[in-house]
Amino acid sequence: MKKIFIMVALLLTVTLHAQKPVPAAPQSEPILIKGGTAHLGDGRIIENALIGFTGGVISLVDSLNGNADISAYTKVIDASGKHIYPGFIASNTLLGLIEIESVRATRDFTEAGSFNPNVRSLIAYNTDSKIIPTVRNNGVLIAESTPTGGWISGSSSLMQLDGWNWEDAVLQPDAAIQLRWMSETDFRAQEMKLQTAEGYGAYLSQMRTFFLDAAAYAKTKNPAVKNIRFEAMTGLFSGEQLLLIHVNNGKDIITSVEMAKQAGVKRIGIVGGAQSYSVTSFLKENNIPVLIRKIHSLPYSSSEDIDMPFKLPYILKQNGILFGFESGGDGSEVRNLPFISGTAAGYGLTFEEVVQGLTLNTAKIFGIDNRVGSLTKGKDATLFISEGNALEITGNKLTHAFIQGRTLDLRNEQTELYERYMKKYGLDK
Amino acid sequence: MLHRLWIFVFAFFLTFQSVSAPQSIYPVNGPADVRDVTYALINGQVISSWDASPANLTVLVRNGKITAVGASVTVPADAVVIDCSGRFIYPAFLDVYSGYGLPAPQRQTQTSNRPKYERTSDKQSYWNEAIRSAFSGVGSFTVKEKEAEELRSLGFGAALPVYKDGIVRGTFPVVLLGSGHEVENILHPEAVSGYSFNKGTSLQSYPNSLIGAIALMRQFFYDADWYQKSGTEEYYQSLAIYNKTKSLPRFFEAEGWQNTLRIKKIADEFKMQFVVKGGGNEYQRIDEIKKTGFLYILPLNFPASFEVSNQYDAELIPFSLLKHWELAPFNPVRFAEQNIPFALTLDGLKDKKEFRRNLLKAVQYGLTPAHALRALTETPAKLIQAENQLGAVKSGYIANLIVTDGELFDENSSMLETWVAGKRYRHAEIPEYDLRGTFRISYLNNAINAEIKGKAAKPEVKLSGTTLIAKASLNSQLVTFRLNNAKGDTVYTLSGTFTDANSLKGTGTDASGSTFTWKAVRTADFVFTPSPAKPKPEAGSLIYPFEAYGKKELPASSGSLLIKNATVWTNEKDGILEQADILVENGRISKTGKNLSAPAGITVIDANGGHVTPGIIDEHTHIAITAGVNEGTQASSAEVRIEDAVNPDDINIYRQLSGGVTTVQQLHGSANQAGGQSSIIKMRWGNTAEGLKFKDAPASIKFALGENVKQSNWGDFANERYPQTRMGVEQYYFDLFTRAKEYAQRKKAGGNLFRVDLDLEAINEILEGKRNITCHSYVQSEINMLLHVADSMGFKVNTFTHILEGYKVADKMKQHGSNASSFSDWWAYKFEVYEAIPHNGAIMHNAGLNVGFNSDDAEMARRLNQEAAKAVKYGNISEEDALKFVTLNPAKMLKLDHKIGSIKTGKDADLVLWSGHPLSIASRAEKTIIDGIIYFDRDLNDKAAEEIKAERNRIIQKMQTAQKSGEPAVKPEIKKEMQYECDTLLDDYTTEGGF
Repeated sequence: MKKIFIMVALLLTVTLHAQKPVPAAPQSEPILIKGGTAHLGDGRIIENALIGFTGGVISLVDSLNGNADISAYTKVIDASGKHIYPGFIASNTLLGLIEIESVRATRDFTEAGSFNPNVRSLIAYNTDSKIIPTVRNNGVLIAESTPTGGWISGSSSLMQLDGWNWEDAVLQPDAAIQLRWMSETDFRAQEMKLQTAEGYGAYLSQMRTFFLDAAAYAKTKNPAVKNIRFEAMTGLFSGEQLLLIHVNNGKDIITSVEMAKQAGVKRIGIVGGAQSYSVTSFLKENNIPVLIRKIHSLPYSSSEDIDMPFKLPYILKQNGILFGFESGGDGSEVRNLPFISGTAAGYGLTFEEVVQGLTLNTAKIFGIDNRVGSLTKGKDATLFISEGNALEITGNKLTHAFIQGRTLDLRNEQTELYERYMKKYGLDK
Repeated sequence: MLHRLWIFVFAFFLTFQSVSAPQSIYPVNGPADVRDVTYALINGQVISSWDASPANLTVLVRNGKITAVGASVTVPADAVVIDCSGRFIYPAFLDVYSGYGLPAPQRQTQTSNRPKYERTSDKQSYWNEAIRSAFSGVGSFTVKEKEAEELRSLGFGAALPVYKDGIVRGTFPVVLLGSGHEVENILHPEAVSGYSFNKGTSLQSYPNSLIGAIALMRQFFYDADWYQKSGTEEYYQSLAIYNKTKSLPRFFEAEGWQNTLRIKKIADEFKMQFVVKGGGNEYQRIDEIKKTGFLYILPLNFPASFEVSNQYDAELIPFSLLKHWELAPFNPVRFAEQNIPFALTLDGLKDKKEFRRNLLKAVQYGLTPAHALRALTETPAKLIQAENQLGAVKSGYIANLIVTDGELFDENSSMLETWVAGKRYRHAEIPEYDLRGTFRISYLNNAINAEIKGKAAKPEVKLSGTTLIAKASLNSQLVTFRLNNAKGDTVYTLSGTFTDANSLKGTGTDASGSTFTWKAVRTADFVFTPSPAKPKPEAGSLIYPFEAYGKKELPASSGSLLIKNATVWTNEKDGILEQADILVENGRISKTGKNLSAPAGITVIDANGGHVTPGIIDEHTHIAITAGVNEGTQASSAEVRIEDAVNPDDINIYRQLSGGVTTVQQLHGSANQAGGQSSIIKMRWGNTAEGLKFKDAPASIKFALGENVKQSNWGDFANERYPQTRMGVEQYYFDLFTRAKEYAQRKKAGGNLFRVDLDLEAINEILEGKRNITCHSYVQSEINMLLHVADSMGFKVNTFTHILEGYKVADKMKQHGSNASSFSDWWAYKFEVYEAIPHNGAIMHNAGLNVGFNSDDAEMARRLNQEAAKAVKYGNISEEDALKFVTLNPAKMLKLDHKIGSIKTGKDADLVLWSGHPLSIASRAEKTIIDGIIYFDRDLNDKAAEEIKAERNRIIQKMQTAQKSGEPAVKPEIKKEMQYECDTLLDDYTTEGGF
C-alpha cells in the first residue's frame, strides 16, 4: 500500500515537474547579450547593443560600435534583430494572492476590518501560483502583490516573479501601504444621486484621526502600550514606506493627499487617478506621482471624452507628472499589462515613454530605482529579450528572461497544454 | 312639429334623470336631506370648451348637471343666483392618471432571499403574480377628503385613479373629486385597463428583466385568446376577467419614448390600441412618437436644475441629464405642434404644487392656452370615453367647473372655486361680488375715486382725488379700506359690505376713533388685463441619440464614397491589396481596384496608405440592452427576446464604433440553459432600435452550460433551481427538446385547444433549423455532452461561445459542424476556466474550425483588433487569418457572411480605416463606416469632445442663472449605468430612465 502511495506521489511529481517551471538557479557564468535594440527604460535606446551581466548584476551597457572589453563573458546570446528590455514592473496586482477568482479558498487579499496597515501580502504570496509563469512570459518580471479591501488594506510587497518561496522571491518587502479612498460624491453613492456618500463624514474623520494618532505613535520612543496597526504605519512617517492612495475623483485626490500630508506622510502616490487630468497643477506642486488607472478602462463617467483613459498618460507626461501604469488589481490579466499600457502609444506617448512608465518610472515611485527599472550598470540583471516590440502583441515573444541574472524557464502549463493538443491533432509537425 | 317633440322628449329625459339622481340605498339617520336646487351663474366670462372664446353666458346647474348654458338663458325664479362678474368660468380639469383614492401598492417584505419560482396564494388567478387583470380598482376606492381638496384647488373635478402594480394591472374607475360618499363619486366603475413593463409588488422571481416582462405580457395575451377559444374547463380568474374587460381602453405606462416604441410593436402584434402614459422625454423622438398613432398622457414633471458645487462633480453629470433639463419643458408643445392628442397629468410630480408652475412653464415654452386647456379637459375625457359628460361647460354635462379671477393660464389669475357635480367648493373666503373695478367712495365730505385691480382675493387699490393711499382687505363678507397718509399712518378705516353687485355701504373710523358712514358705488366694471408674455426660452439643439456624441441630424440610410490609396485587407482570395481604392455606392461595395474614379458628388477619402479592413463583428455582446440581459429565473427562458429591449442610446455603441465595431450580436446572459433570443444590430449610432436592427438576420438563441446554469457562484441560497449539476443540465435539455417535439405535433394538429407556448415555440424553431444556437460553454465534458444531445435530438449547435476548452474537443466540434467564438486569453476567473489557454483559438483554427474572438465586455469591444493579434502571438496564426477572427469568421457564425465580413463587390460597405496596421496596439480607427455612412470620424470626434465641453458649460451657467431667479436646484440623479456581462443578474429592474 505504502509503495503504491510512493509511486503515485513520484508520478505526480514527475507530471508536475513537466508542467511547472522550476525556479531558476543562480547565475553561474557571465552572460553577454550581443546585438539587438536595447530599450534602457529611461527613454533611451541603444541599437546593436551589448548588455552584459555577472553574478546577477548588470556589468555592461554599451553598443557594438563601442570598444568594450567582452572577453570575460563566457556565455553569449545573439540578439540581433531582437529587443532587450528591463523587466516590466506591474503595480497593483493580486499576483500570488489569487488563483481562481470565484473560488473563495483561493482568494487571499481582503482581510476583515477597516484599518489593516499591519497585514502583509508578502507572507501570503504563493510562488507556486499557476498564474505567475504566464505573466512573466510576457515580460512582466516584477509585480506589486497588493492587498485590497477595507479602508487601509495592508502593505504590498514587490515580488520577483520567480522563486522557491516568498522569502527568495521578494524584492522590496512592505513597500507600500494601501489606502482606499472613499469617494465623497459620486453616483455610486446611495440613490444614484450626486451627493455626499453615506458615511463619508465618518470615514474622513476616522481616517484623519487614525493617521494623526499613528503619526503621534511614531514619534513616541518605546510606547508603553504597543499597537501593531500604528507600528505598521511608522514607515510612512520616516519615508521608508510609500503611501499609495487608491482614488479617482479629482476632488478626492486633493482631499486625500492633503489629509496624508498634514499627518506627516513623506511619500505619497496615487493609484487610479482617472480624473487626475483635472488636478495636474496640484499633483505637480506636491510632487505626487500617479500609477495610472488601467488604460483599458471605460471612461470614468458616462459622457466623458471617450478617449480619456487612453490619453491620460500623455496629459500627465505633458504636465511633468511622474507616472506608471497600474494593473487594475488583476491576477491572470496582468500578463496583458504591456499591451494595455502600450495602447497609450496610439494617443500621444512614444513607445519608449510607455516602456519608461512600465520600468524606471514605476521603480522610482516605489523607491527601488537604484536596483531595478533600467538597463544600467550596477542594477539587477532583471531583463528580457523579445523577438519584436514587446509592447506589440504580435512582437512580444520572449526568447530569454532573467531575474537577477537567473535564466528563467519560459515554458509553463499553458504552453505544455498547447503542445499536448497540437500533438493530439497531429498539428505539431 | 317633430323637431319640437324631440326637444320635449329630451327635456323630459333630463328632468327624469335629475329627479332620480339623489336616491340612495343607504339608510338615513334622521330626516332625509334631499335637495333639488338650481344654481345660476350669471355675468361670468364662460369658456365653454377648450376652443371657445370667453363669452358672457349664464350657466344653470341642477342636481349635479349643467342644465343650460347660454347668453339668453332664463334664470328660474327659485334659482340661487351667483353673480360672476369679473370671473372666468372653465370646465374643470380631469386627471386620467391619478394617484387619488387608491392606496399605494406595497411590496411585502421578503422573509427569505431564496428565489421564488411559484406563486403562493391566489393560485386560481394565473401562474404569475405580475399579471393582475382580475384586479378592479373601484373595489379599493375611498374618498380622501384632504387629497380631493388639494386637487380641487388646482382645478381638478374628476380623476382616474391608477393602481400602479404589475404588468397587466386590471381595471380602474373614473371618480369625481367631491366630498361625501364613495357611491356618489364613482362615475364609471371600470373605465380603462392598465398595463406596464414593471412587475410591481410580485414576489415571484420571474420576470427580473424587461425582456422577461414583455415576454410575460405576450404569453398572457396568447393565453387569454386560447382561454376564450378553447373553452377549457380549468378556471383562471385573470384570464376570465381579462376577456370580459378587454374592450376597455388600454392605458400603458411607458415611462419614455423607447418603451413607447416597444409598446408599438406589441400593439401591432396583437392588433391593440393603447393610450400611453409618457415619461417626458418624447420630444427626443417626436416623429417616431407621432407614427405610433397612440394617444398620450404626459407628465409635467420637468426636471429641476442641478446643484453644482465644484467642477469635479460637474464633470460627472451625464450630458443627457443637462440637455434634458433644458429641453423637457418643450415636451407638451412638441406634441401640440405635431397634432398628437395628449392629456396632461399630475403623475410624476413630487409635489402637486408644482403643477401650476409647470403648466404655466409649458405655456411659456410655447404651448397655447387653448391646447393646454384641451389637454386637461376634452382630451382626457375622450381617453376615458366620457367626452359627453366631462371636459366642457355644456348642457347635459356633469357640472364640473372652475371659477377663476382671471384668464386661467395667466400667472396673475387664481382659482376661486371648483364645482364638482354641482357642488360648489370655494378656495377663498371672500365676498360673493368682485371688488375689482372702479368705485366712487363717499365718506364724511369726501368723494374719491378708487381703481381696484389685482387678484380677486388680494385686490390692489389706486386712489385718485386725494393724497391718501388705500389698502383693501377682504374677510368673508366684510370689505375694509385702510386709508393711509404718505407717512403710512392710518387716517381712516372704512369697513362695510356689498348691498348689491355695484354698491357698498358701511362704517368708517378716523384716527381719533370717531365713526361715520361711508358708501361706494361702482362706476366701471373690472376688465382683466393679461400679464405681458414672458419671452419663449431658446431651445438647445436636439441630438440623435440624446447622449454625448449624438449628432445634430438623423443619419441617412446609406451612403456612397470612394476610399483611395489604402492597404486593403479584403478577407478574400485577393488577400491584402496595396495602394488600392474602394468605391462604395448606396451602402454597398461596388468596386475595389486601383485608380478608381469617383462618380460626381461622391465623397473621396484619401487613406494615404492607411489600412482599411472590413468592420469588426462582435459575436457576443451585452451592450445596448435596457434593464437586464438575463431572465435567469427559469431553466428555460427561450421566450424572451433581446430585440425587445435594444437601447439605441447606449454610449457604448459610440465608444465601440471608435474601435471599428460595425455589427454585434446582442446575447441573452448565461444564467440559464435556454437563455433567450438574440438580436443582431449594426452600430448605426443615432437611429432608433428599429434602425439599428440587422435586417433579415437569421434568428438565434443563447444556450448556456456549466457553472452559471447550475448556479455554482450565486451564493449558498441558490440550490433550488434545477439543474445543480452538469448531470442535470443534460437531462433538462433532453426533456426540453422532447417537450418541444410534442408541442410541434400539437401545433400541427391545430384546433382551438392548441395553446401557443412561446418558450417551446422557440425551442421548436431550433429543431426546425430556423433558429441558431450560440452556446456558452467551457469544459470539454459539457461540450461533448451537448453535441450528443444535439445529434440524438436532431439539431445543430451553431456556435459554442467562450468555449475555452474547445481545444480539447476541437475534432468533435469539427465533426458536428460547430463554430467557436472564444475569448482570446481570459482564464482563472472560475474553476471551469482553470485549464483555459490563450492558444485555444489557434488550436481550434488549425483543427479546421471557424474561430472568432468576441468581447462579452463593453471595454474589450473597443479594441477587438488587439484581441485578434493574440492569435498571432499565441499559436502563430497568420495576420490575415487573425484579423478574420474578428471580422469574417464571426460573420460566418451569424450566417451573414454573404453580406458582411469581407471587402467584396456587392457586400455591405462596413469598413474601418485605421491609423496604422490593424493588429498594432498603437493603431486607432480613424473612420468607421457602415452602409457607406461614416458613423465615426476621428477628426469630428475630437471636435465633438470640445463641443460637449462647451455645451455642458453653457447649460450649467444657464442653470445657475435660473437658480438666481428662483428655480429650485436638486442633486443630479441618474439611473444605474450598468455594463452587463454574461452573468450579470438583477434583483429588480427599472425599464427606462426618466430622461
